[in-house]
Amino acid sequence: MQLVDRIEKRRFVGREFLLWLWFESEIFDGTLRTKEHGDFGLWIERQLVLSASKQEVTRIKGSYPAGSREAKEALLLGKLPDAAGLHLSWREHETSFSIKAEQMSLAGLALKTALGGEEDAPVIPIDPLLAKRGGKAKKPRAKDAAAESDEEHEAFYERMRLTREVEGLLEALFRDFLALRLGPAWDDVVVPALRAWVAASPIDADTYRAGRDAALSPSESRSRARKKREAV
Amino acid sequence: MPALKGSLTYSRSFVEGDLPDDFRERFMKAIRLRAMKPLEPDDDDLERSGWCRIGEPFELDLAYDDVFYNEYINLGFRTDRWVIPGPMLRAKMREAEAAYLAKKGRERLSKSEKTELKALVSKKLRRQLAPATRAFDFSWSTSEGLVRFFSQSARPIASMTELFQRTFGLKLVPEAPYTLAARLGMTKPQEAAWQELEVTLLTAAEG
Repeated sequence: MQLVDRIEKRRFVGREFLLWLWFESEIFDGTLRTKEHGDFGLWIERQLVLSASKQEVTRIKGSYPAGSREAKEALLLGKLPDAAGLHLSWREHETSFSIKAEQMSLAGLALKTALGGEEDAPVIPIDPLLAKRGGKAKKPRAKDAAAESDEEHEAFYERMRLTREVEGLLEALFRDFLALRLGPAWDDVVVPALRAWVAASPIDADTYRAGRDAALSPSESRSRARKKREAV
Repeated sequence: MPALKGSLTYSRSFVEGDLPDDFRERFMKAIRLRAMKPLEPDDDDLERSGWCRIGEPFELDLAYDDVFYNEYINLGFRTDRWVIPGPMLRAKMREAEAAYLAKKGRERLSKSEKTELKALVSKKLRRQLAPATRAFDFSWSTSEGLVRFFSQSARPIASMTELFQRTFGLKLVPEAPYTLAARLGMTKPQEAAWQELEVTLLTAAEG
């Protein structure tokens, strides 16, 4: 298979990733975890877009669009999530953003930064008296300009550090998703649970979690089970 | 949704190829060479793109500190385009056609005359207008080999990718589920499984 086909013909994997996030977020009450990040809150909010083709698009807006009847009905009609608004609650991150599944791109990522807020925006001083007299406004001194530039750089580094943290968390989730999607656990564990969830049948979240954890880290899972047996 | 302030909306692309040892000096020269040259009314180009300072579309004189933020290369990607309002162009064309026909003592223009006249009128109108300017932030994390471009529209992404390749001589691959999976690392069995993937059916097949 050519590289372009591996990219273009498998873009639906991004939609399935978003579907899996939605599913896990719902059955685990909005609390997900990765090995690297521990527990964090992640849920769909504000908007959810599902589609099967360009003509058949379902857009749902609201505080919890994923919980609406139309959302599950769209899945039953063969649609998959295309884009969604997500809320993330992890360490200092209490943030919202949208994700486009096929491009794996983020939009409207709001960062809580300590540096470079709107109030810190550089103000260019214009002396009205000088302007009246036809004089020139004072140029910021080289020292001030350098300090301003340093501040701008520092604010940028902070923004990028926070952005990379959010991206790193999403990548860790994608890595877990891939481990499931590209192995036997997808058909054995995930798909039956997904189908039951879409059909609004009861799901045993603990059984599902045990199955997916075993697939993600088999050795850890065996050791936990052994410890449990020993304790009994 | 820019890099320096406010919420972030961006697309990611990965850089293919290694950076040369002297990339800072080399890239600085290449960037200055491809810095934005504003459109002039008499230019043949109707649209032009080039680099500018990040967050400052009209700052075209680029210093080292404007561009290099530690391991990041930060720039603005600016595009100028002539946009002549349709009704204005049509009105001026009518006037020009009438004057031309009167001068020649004829009733109709040939197709080539009409094209020439339109080019002349457009050029004249461009002298009275300013080109439309758009700029998007661009941030290349050289340590990650990753470009964050602060637009998700296909056209600016394609134009930026082209300018990137001309400037730096490196290829940019837009982010997609596969490129991310490959970057995170897939085992051989996973790579094989990827090639066989089919869309998951959420309703069990009947029968």
